[in-house]
Amino acid sequence: MRQLRALALRVRGLFRSRRVEEDFVAELESHIELHTEAGIRNGLDPVEARRQALIRLGGAEQTRQAHRERRGLPWLESLLRDMTYGVRTLAKHRGATAVAVLSIGLGIGANATIFSMVSRFVLRPAPMGDPSNLLSIYIRPQGEEYFNSFPLPLYNDLRDQAKSFSGVAAFYELIPASISGNGEPERVWGQAVTTNFFDVAQLPMELGRGFLSGDDDLPEVVLGAGLWQRRFNGDRGIVGKPVTISGQTYTVVGVVTPAFHSVDQIIYTEFWVPLGSVAKLVPNAPPKGSREYHWLPVVARLKPGVTRAQAGAELDTLASRFALSYPATDKGNSFVYRQAGSLPPKEKGAVLMFLTALSVVVLLVLSIAGANVANLLFAQAAGRQRDMAVRLALGATRGRLRRQLLIESLLLSLAGGALGVSLSLWATRALSTLHVPAPIPLDVSIALDWRVLVYSFALSVVSGILLGAAPAWAAARPLLASALKGDDALSRPGRRITLRNVLVVAQIAMSVLILCLTGLFLRSLQTAATIDIGFRPQNLLIMSVDPRVHGYSAERTVQFLTQLQRRVAALPGVRSAVTTDVPPLNGGNRSDGFTLVGGPSKDKPITYAELYMITPGYFETMGIPLFAGRGFGREASGGIQSALVNRAFVEHAFGGANPIGQQVSGGGVTYQIIGVAGNVKSRTLGEDQRPVLYRSLQQSVAADPSLMGYTIVVQTMGNPALLTEAVRRQIYALDPAMAIFNIETMEDHVRTAFFLPRLAAMLFGTFGFIGLVLASVGLYGVMSYAVSRRTREIGIRMAMGAKPGTVERLVLRQGMVLVLIALALGWPVAWMLSKVAASFLYGIQPHDLLTFAIVPPFLAGVALIACYIPARRAASIDPMQALRTE
Amino acid sequence: MGEKADVWQGTLALMVLRTLETIGPQHGYGLARRIEQTSGDLLQLNYGTLYPALLKLEQEGYIRSRWGISDNNRRAKFYELTKAGHRQLKKAAAEWEQTTEILARFLTSADGS
Repeated sequence: MRQLRALALRVRGLFRSRRVEEDFVAELESHIELHTEAGIRNGLDPVEARRQALIRLGGAEQTRQAHRERRGLPWLESLLRDMTYGVRTLAKHRGATAVAVLSIGLGIGANATIFSMVSRFVLRPAPMGDPSNLLSIYIRPQGEEYFNSFPLPLYNDLRDQAKSFSGVAAFYELIPASISGNGEPERVWGQAVTTNFFDVAQLPMELGRGFLSGDDDLPEVVLGAGLWQRRFNGDRGIVGKPVTISGQTYTVVGVVTPAFHSVDQIIYTEFWVPLGSVAKLVPNAPPKGSREYHWLPVVARLKPGVTRAQAGAELDTLASRFALSYPATDKGNSFVYRQAGSLPPKEKGAVLMFLTALSVVVLLVLSIAGANVANLLFAQAAGRQRDMAVRLALGATRGRLRRQLLIESLLLSLAGGALGVSLSLWATRALSTLHVPAPIPLDVSIALDWRVLVYSFALSVVSGILLGAAPAWAAARPLLASALKGDDALSRPGRRITLRNVLVVAQIAMSVLILCLTGLFLRSLQTAATIDIGFRPQNLLIMSVDPRVHGYSAERTVQFLTQLQRRVAALPGVRSAVTTDVPPLNGGNRSDGFTLVGGPSKDKPITYAELYMITPGYFETMGIPLFAGRGFGREASGGIQSALVNRAFVEHAFGGANPIGQQVSGGGVTYQIIGVAGNVKSRTLGEDQRPVLYRSLQQSVAADPSLMGYTIVVQTMGNPALLTEAVRRQIYALDPAMAIFNIETMEDHVRTAFFLPRLAAMLFGTFGFIGLVLASVGLYGVMSYAVSRRTREIGIRMAMGAKPGTVERLVLRQGMVLVLIALALGWPVAWMLSKVAASFLYGIQPHDLLTFAIVPPFLAGVALIACYIPARRAASIDPMQALRTE
Repeated sequence: MGEKADVWQGTLALMVLRTLETIGPQHGYGLARRIEQTSGDLLQLNYGTLYPALLKLEQEGYIRSRWGISDNNRRAKFYELTKAGHRQLKKAAAEWEQTTEILARFLTSADGS
């Protein structure tokens, strides 16, 4: 406490030094006078008395200095002085400072951007109470690697029997719905939750409350804050008012905190209803009593004082108890838990891998930038040798000089960090605008948060110290004699491998690595563009509706879609119009396992096929070739359904034999195959051809309605985007309350499917470019410095008769030797590391020969240019001038 | 250098506090003289070191200062103990006594082992 008070006073002393100083001078003066008077009283003459007084004081000036140091904080004062001096020095070398700050800024910016992804997807806890004691619980079947959700009865058992938890809640993840009233009808997604969900998750509420435990059939709804703002203008009196969701009336009981969208933080849902609503809002809702249907993710809140290990042990006990009671369904199952809000276990591996690769690359970029700046500081230190030597000769300690230089490099890197953070502010915004190809709403936006800021700051400080350490060390021990003479005091005689050269070699070697990766991803994007997607995306417009969530029956849905198709086909500029449930390249699709009907019965191979509903004319409109049989005509309802399959299906299920007329069954339905169509990419660009089965929309809507709604595909004669309004008007003409979603041209839709290769190419392209520029600037700087240092030597050579061409070659050779060493070091490392990237590449091998053949000469070419400019300068040295300098 | 000064300053601070307690408010020169007299002139203070010590005590809140007039009509800065200073003096004196007592025992029984 006392020390704190003293410290505060001393800090204050820094700022009011003048008055205190005068006060102390007066005090000292009075001391001396008192002492002198005493001396006079003892018989000394006044002059001698005063002399004695001064002697006993130990020197007025020394006393004042001691007092001054106690008054303020000397180390803080000198630190401030060093900083002012540093700022002044940096401001003086404006060009070098700008290059350094820009270099570090780019490096830190790249790191901050990637780290904001890490922060978003790995570190950020969900905004639910204390996230550390909220667990997601999964079922792991024996011997399997995947994690399952819960059947309702099993959830009930767990909730009633587990003692480690203060609450266990379950939810149904995705309910597509339409919301109407207040403007255009809109498609929104929500979740159905057990009534204790908000209590277990401890979700902060913006308004109102969660559900009261008990009745899960009440028509109550909690709105997401975004939906509340968007559709209800943030009406603070919304609680108690009715809203219409998919034609049903619900009473708003609360609005949840804006930060919350779903437990896993990826799925973007905007309303929550009690679990009982699933039956009302979702067709073919999973049977509540079934112990086989895994449809409910579960979260549980640990009781205070219970550790995760204890809970895990109890879960093990419960799992074996359930296995005994329900051997048919629960045998071999175990429970596993993860902290709620972390990435779903399924995706975690790939995401972590991608982020790690990116983190390594951006750290390399930062290292290249750091090497640049270190080199720059070296050059500067060399220019300041005389200054340093004079200060040393005057008695400054080396430590003091080093501190001065370190403070300068810290200032540089902090300024760079600030620039980097503002750059990544822009970069994260740009990245957040990318759409992820998925049939469901996902929130993958990233932004700078406090974790990113702390990380960037720490990174700036660390890099400031690292890149300043070596120059500071070297600069503070100049060869005094040469420095005072004005010679280069840093170049120690007889040393050929200098730290600067090592730095440049490291820089170029690292850029070889990054450029190879960049090359791979650019090539990957290029080959991705040539992937045969199996259909023609030009001149197609797509638009989706979901009549079911507006209360349409199956017949009315078919009727609506048929009418719409007819009306749209009649529009001017429209060639044809068909309907499907979802277009290809949708990121995820309905699939079922199929077996052949008839033939040998035991152990029939199962073909897992993607299911699409289509209307007649679909293949012509989409430009998918038909290889055998026919497309749909007027299919009768009832009886055996017709289906077309793609070639991959034929390969897999029939071994390539003619399937026409054969029957397959899956999902409880038997289909007769009437035709074979070409392969299309069903979910993602990079997938191997998946088997696909097309069924008739008319025949399927009733028994197996689409959860994703239905998409009308319009083939136009001209630019499809121009017809958007006309098609929308046709939909509203049939039903003004119909919510329309996913409006885009097929080309845009396909472009979205390029998400991963584009994201990778964009990120690596940017980082590769930055790395290349930084490394070239570094090489240029080192060569320029070498030339300027050897001005006299070159002058002598030329005076002795060397030709400009010879001098030019001399400099070029010196630079290119460095480049060759770097290539020899970097290339093999890149070759080895490229395997890591394999799983993110499309259509090319990680050891892509073209990439690895082009990068070295390309880099060498750029390096040649960077060396050529200083070489020219060397060649144009005027011998007379050169010999006269210094 | 630093450590020695600290020890010295520590004891000097105790002397200052004790002296102020005995004689009441006093200026720097008077304090110094008084300390020398009390020590039976065994101590010879470098008066210059007294002032940083006084400043430290003041920053810590054990003493306070104000300008006043000395016995022979000179303007001088007078220091006096605060309440915290009284408490600190008691504490420091007790600690010092204990230390010297322990040391004394060592020194008297030194030849035994």
